[in-house]
Amino acid sequence: MYKFLLCLRYLRTRYLAFVCIVSVMLGVATLIVVNSVMAGFSTKLKDRFRGLHTDVTIESPNMNGFSTPAAELKEKILNSRAGEFIEAMTETVEVFGMATFELYLQSGGSEPITMPVQVIGIDPEARAKLGGFAQYLTTPSRREKPSFELDPKALARWHHLHPPVDIPEHKPLIPGAPPLPDPPRDPVKPMGCFPGFAITHYRSTDPVTGAVNHKPLLLMGDSIRIVTASATKRLEPVYADFAIADSIQTEIPEYDRGFFWVKLEDLQTIRGMPGRCSHIHIRLKDYSKNKEAVEALREIFPDEREAIVQTWEDKNRTLLDAIDTERGILNLLLFMIVGVAGFSVLAVFSMIVREKTRDIGILKSLGASDRGVMSIFLGYGLLLGGLGAGLGIALGLTIVHYINPIEQFLSKNTGVGFDRRVYYFEELPTHVQPEMVALVTIGALLISVLFSVLPALRAAMLKPVRALRYE
Amino acid sequence: MIRAVNLTKSYHRHKHVVPVLQGIDLELQPGEFLSIVGASGSGKSTLLHVLGTLDKADSGMIFFGDERIDQLSSKERDRYRNEKFGFIFQFYHLLPELSAMENVMMPGLIGSSLFSWWQKRKQIKKRATELLERVGLGHRLHHKPREMSGGEMQRTAIARALIASPKVLFADEPTGNLDAEAADEIIRLLREINREERVTILMVTHNLELARLSDRVVKMSSGKFSPLSVNAPPLGYQPLNDIPHLCLPAPQV
Ligand SMILES: Nc1ncnc2c1ncn2[C@@H]1O[C@H](COP(=O)(O)OP(=O)(O)OP(=O)(O)O)[C@@H](O)[C@H]1O
Ligand SMILES: [Mg+2]
Repeated sequence: MYKFLLCLRYLRTRYLAFVCIVSVMLGVATLIVVNSVMAGFSTKLKDRFRGLHTDVTIESPNMNGFSTPAAELKEKILNSRAGEFIEAMTETVEVFGMATFELYLQSGGSEPITMPVQVIGIDPEARAKLGGFAQYLTTPSRREKPSFELDPKALARWHHLHPPVDIPEHKPLIPGAPPLPDPPRDPVKPMGCFPGFAITHYRSTDPVTGAVNHKPLLLMGDSIRIVTASATKRLEPVYADFAIADSIQTEIPEYDRGFFWVKLEDLQTIRGMPGRCSHIHIRLKDYSKNKEAVEALREIFPDEREAIVQTWEDKNRTLLDAIDTERGILNLLLFMIVGVAGFSVLAVFSMIVREKTRDIGILKSLGASDRGVMSIFLGYGLLLGGLGAGLGIALGLTIVHYINPIEQFLSKNTGVGFDRRVYYFEELPTHVQPEMVALVTIGALLISVLFSVLPALRAAMLKPVRALRYE
Repeated sequence: MIRAVNLTKSYHRHKHVVPVLQGIDLELQPGEFLSIVGASGSGKSTLLHVLGTLDKADSGMIFFGDERIDQLSSKERDRYRNEKFGFIFQFYHLLPELSAMENVMMPGLIGSSLFSWWQKRKQIKKRATELLERVGLGHRLHHKPREMSGGEMQRTAIARALIASPKVLFADEPTGNLDAEAADEIIRLLREINREERVTILMVTHNLELARLSDRVVKMSSGKFSPLSVNAPPLGYQPLNDIPHLCLPAPQV
């Protein structure tokens, strides 16, 4: 009983105790913030990867794609054992290409710009059913029912940029005959496309405020020419002009710079591979059964030279592993910091025990047992650790909650911040994992108890006579 | 009440053996108030600590009633100190973080678990208040030690020593840090408590004047009891009345 009283009193009167609390608090808060931000990044990355790569992909290693028509392949899959795992499925044509467009300079002239891209031909509605696509469209109204149709304004721009070929005025050949109807004005309907956000936009830094924002480089309705290779018997260069219908912003720089989405049929036509595809993307009913699903699919596509069956995790294995490793190492380092906080607990505790030597003697002369004295100090350690951890959790969660205003404030005033040229994320993503918070808390408590064991033992071993003579 | 037989104790310091107790025999009658006087370093405090189970003798025996207490387990010795013995020290030894009241209740707190404290807390609080009033500190219940004078602190310490209604009080120079008047008050208080509650008291003091107020005085020198004066016979200890100049003016208990 007296132990509680003394623990509380020692806490109230010992400013040294606050050193302990603060060091535990800072340790815990740092661990929570760093882990939440890292988890935020990796969750966001994984979310994008999974969305863009879809659960399982059957991919032809041949750039020309599968020779079997896509419809046949899909039917074969659905009728096989793998069919029961599948929630949705769509075929795509994916191929490397070059995008080129005219950049109008401020000086007045223009300059052609060419960049490598991955051209992806999709059926937008079917692809949307697999997830990880429609929500990245820049125009919110398109997300509901994605299509490559240009909206009226964009179409007008396209027509403006591609005026109809002027047909000379024609006169009726036979005098008196009724005039011929006007020829249709520009019968060519543009092929819509979704370039990556970073293709159609550039980043500008405000020289005064330092704020970074995206400015359009190309407008909707502008045209981009795609040059790629045919999938016919003899490889030939092929090209076509596309009209920008919208852009896709995944916030992953690689994809935003490199992906160029067009309509499946358009790409099939351009490449001369009607009805065929290079990839089949699958969304599983239950992703936890991905191993079984992949196995079942490999039964249909046993030859690795013909088709590669992979989950999104297999495809991104190296990067995902790197993220995990990085996180593990960082945690190890941070735990060392908490270990340092533990040593400050040890130091402060040794000081407190020394300061309280006489009290220990008094307590023993009043009949307190060695164990009782020890538990005062262990309890004290636990109390300090608990308070520190509690405050640390509160501080950490607050920082995580306000991480973006804090980051903006810091980068504005000190120039240290997270570089938006590296990440397209507008905001620092965070993800607080309750089990991580629990683990950190338990760790902090354990460390503070562990480091108070030694001083507590010393206090318990103290001979009462010695302690009493201490004046 | 307490009987010690041939207690010896020595400290070892770098091969030097420092004998502190060299064969002490002592018998305390129930309700007796015994004073020990002696030069500094003669082993008085050590004897008190050994008798009060705070320290261990190298050899010899200590009995409390019929029970031998020098060989008890540390748990049982803790219980003795908590329930049967009370200690009063020269430097008061109050816990600085606690109020007078809490200091007095401390032995009660130590002796009870959370549950039994809940049951007994009213009773213990009442007794602590009574004791503080008894020692004349009814108006200082919630003062911290640093807010009290030396005499007040020592009276708080006495109240604390009495809270568990102990059988024996060990007082090590309880007046050592007090002026003559406060010292006198403390001794008179001890004397009254000794009479009223029939508590056996073993007091170490340097002050012969104050020692005269006790029932019996023994002198220690280099770890042994020695005659009080050159004329006195070399007894281990002797009844107070045998020494004319130390005769107690007050009537015997
Ligand atoms: N831990 C120790 N190690 C070595 N010697 C010690 C120790 N504690 C006490 N002593 C020695 O034991 C002897 C007796 O000490 P003690 O405190 O009992 O004397 P005392 O009679 O109470 O003296 P005082 O009147 O000054 O309080 C002293 O000589 C002291 O130096
Ligand atoms: Mg002494």
